[in-house]
Order: sequence, then structure tokens, then C-alpha cells
Amino acid sequence: MSSEPLLNQLIESLRCLPGVGPKSAQRMALHLLERNREGGLQLASVLVEAMGKIGRCKQCRDLTEMETCAVCVSPRRDQTLLCVVESPVDVLAIEQATAYNGRYFVLLGRLSPLDGIGPAELGLDQLAERLEQDAPEEMIIATNPTVEGEATSFYLQRMAQKHNIRVTRIAHGVPLGGELEYTDQSTLAHAFGSRRLVD
Amino acid sequence: MSRMQLEPAYVLHSRSFRETSLIVEAFTREHGRVAVVARGAKSPRSRWKNVLQPFRPLVISWSQKSDLGTLAAADQVASPPVLQGQALYCGLYMNELLMRLLHRGDPHAEVFERYRQALSELAAEAPPQPLLRVFEKHLLDATGYAMLLDREYGSGAEIQPRSWYEYQPDRGPVLSVGPGEGRVSGAALLALHAENMQAEYLPELRRLMRAVIGYHLGSKPLASLALFSG
Repeated sequence: MSSEPLLNQLIESLRCLPGVGPKSAQRMALHLLERNREGGLQLASVLVEAMGKIGRCKQCRDLTEMETCAVCVSPRRDQTLLCVVESPVDVLAIEQATAYNGRYFVLLGRLSPLDGIGPAELGLDQLAERLEQDAPEEMIIATNPTVEGEATSFYLQRMAQKHNIRVTRIAHGVPLGGELEYTDQSTLAHAFGSRRLVD
Repeated sequence: MSRMQLEPAYVLHSRSFRETSLIVEAFTREHGRVAVVARGAKSPRSRWKNVLQPFRPLVISWSQKSDLGTLAAADQVASPPVLQGQALYCGLYMNELLMRLLHRGDPHAEVFERYRQALSELAAEAPPQPLLRVFEKHLLDATGYAMLLDREYGSGAEIQPRSWYEYQPDRGPVLSVGPGEGRVSGAALLALHAENMQAEYLPELRRLMRAVIGYHLGSKPLASLALFSG
């Protein structure tokens, strides 16, 4: 602890970042002050701007600084596909890893009764409205393969079936480059259950 | 400090704790409901990551100094029941009931066995309603809220299949003049008592159990019921 109140405040504030403890916060603060004041000022102004301006897309609930995000407004995205994910991180993962070219809906959570998260908290009424007005041909459910993710998936399935929309669920199975020996029992059981014909 | 070794258990619920850990509420056979910290369980390389999921038959070891224990080991011992759709909702409902009705540290080996049995029946796609009613009945019995089902409250007269009763949650059935709001038939009460329920009694028994459980849980309703209404 230094005796400088402002320096202490800076170190304390940096600790709000994930994975940053007292030592690394101190290192970051000293680095900015001693070696990179310009970078520090830049960081400060971008932080202020980003915190103020970035909100949620009114169509898909992803993070955006516009009213509607770039994916939702882009005419090049396939309007007939809708992928439902739990969080903005999942959108980034899918965008980076796959050639998926449709649109998204971000739930910002999953159904978890014991945490008090029900259909209303996940904006499912907003999704229902969207399925009503601007129905996709296919809804891809990409919630996580956890118990809560599966419960959410089932709820979404029933919603889509009410609107006669084709529903698909992303596959679960043995990871590429992995070995059966080290795959956990349930994943392996699932992989066997949903094996497919090779032609 | 006490150490518990290789206890049969199920995870009822887990929530985030600090950056990489979880607080796991587990239902163990010999020690009832316990809360343990699973250190590092949220990190991507954790071996506990996919083991600490609800409905998986586990054996766990933990040490306990205070109300909150520390998980030392968790292994899955059998393949988990595959719960899909409605059966999954029923499983989540049972978990919520156990979380709300069991006190930490009270052993309930019989409820544990019934829970295990109910999960495997749900996985075998048995009709959920009768098995949930029987599970609820035994859970209430075990937690000290046993229901009076074969005799009238007060008079102690035997329940008649053709009569109608008003069920007072904290007391029991009281003879009433006929069917109506909040009434239940004698035949349905006897069917639940014998744990042999024909389909015709299921709607009124469901209403009855919701009212009784709601009464014991107080003002905060069961959140998992919202799933069934969707």
C-alpha cells in the first residue's frame, strides 16, 4: 500500500477486472504511470466512451453501440436462420469458429429456477414476438450442454413448434483431436446415442 | 474438522463463487443436504466441470469446519439418467423441493433412495405425475409435515371414497358437503394413501399437493412451476 490516495484508488479500481489481484493491479498502475501515460489516457477515454455508449441491440440483445447491431442490420446475413445462444461470448465464439451466416438471439442467461431465472428474465417474450412477426425458417439452439442449458433448449423447442419453425440443436460429442479413453462418460454416451449414418 | 469420504451424492444446484470456484449444494445419502466449495471448478481445465452437474450419481469426499465445506473429490459412479423435456423439468422441480424443504445436515437416507428411484423412473419415461405425488408425500413425511390421508382430522373417522373433503394444510381432511373450490374426493385421498393413483384423480391431487406444499414453503412460490406453464 502506498501513502498516495490517488494511486491507491487506481490500484483498487483496476482490481475490478477479472483475474487481477492486488499484485497485478499494482504492476498495471505503475506501468501506466511510469512508462505509458499516453496509453493510460487513451484507455481512460475509451473506457468512458464505451461504458456510456455500448448498450444492447434491440433485436438480438447482443452488445452494440447502435440501436441495432451490425449483424442484425446487415443485408448479407441470412434472414432465414436464427441462432439462440446464452451470452455475447457465445456469439463471438461462433463467429470466429464457424461459417454461420445467419442472425442471433442472445438470452443473457439460461433457465434456472433455483436462481430465480425464468422465461421472463431471458427476454423470451421478446423472442416470441420475433418468431411471430419475422419468423425464420430454422432456429438453431446453441445453449450450453448443461442441465440448465438443456431445460432452456426444451423451452425454446416448444416455442418454435408453436410457430411451426424448424428447430435444430447443435451436436454434442467427442471433441476433435480427443481420445475416447479420456472422454467423460456422459459425453461418450451422448455421442453414441446421436451417432449418424456415414454415406 | 470432520472429513467425509466417498459418500453417495447428487448435485442439487451450484452457483458461482469468486472467479473460478463454485458453491455446490449436494444431497448426500448419510449427511443430507450439504454446501461445499469446489475450488477451481469453473476453470476450463477443471476435471470437475462436467461431473458437478445435477442428476449424476456421484460419490464425493469433503471436509467440513463450518456450515460451508470444501470439496476434496467428486466422481461419477454410474451413467446418469437421461432426462429430456418434461422429465427434465420434473427433475428440476424435485431439486427445488429438496433445496427448499431439507435443512442442511439433516440425514434423509430414505428420501435419497426415493429421489434416486424417481430419477430413474423419469428417465424411463414413466408418467411423471404419479411418481411426483408419491415423492412429495414421502418428502413431507420425512421433513415432519406428514399428511393425514386415511382419516378425518378431529373425528378420526375413516375417509369414505364417495365423500368430499376440505383439506386443511396444517391439519388434514375435514368432511364437507360436496365438490367445490379447494375440495378433494375421498377416493383421491385414499389413492394417494395407497400410492396407487388412477389417472382420474391426478388433477385434484396435483392441486392438493401444490396447496399443501405452498402452505409449508410460505410466501415464496416454487420457481420451477413457471417452466410447466410455458
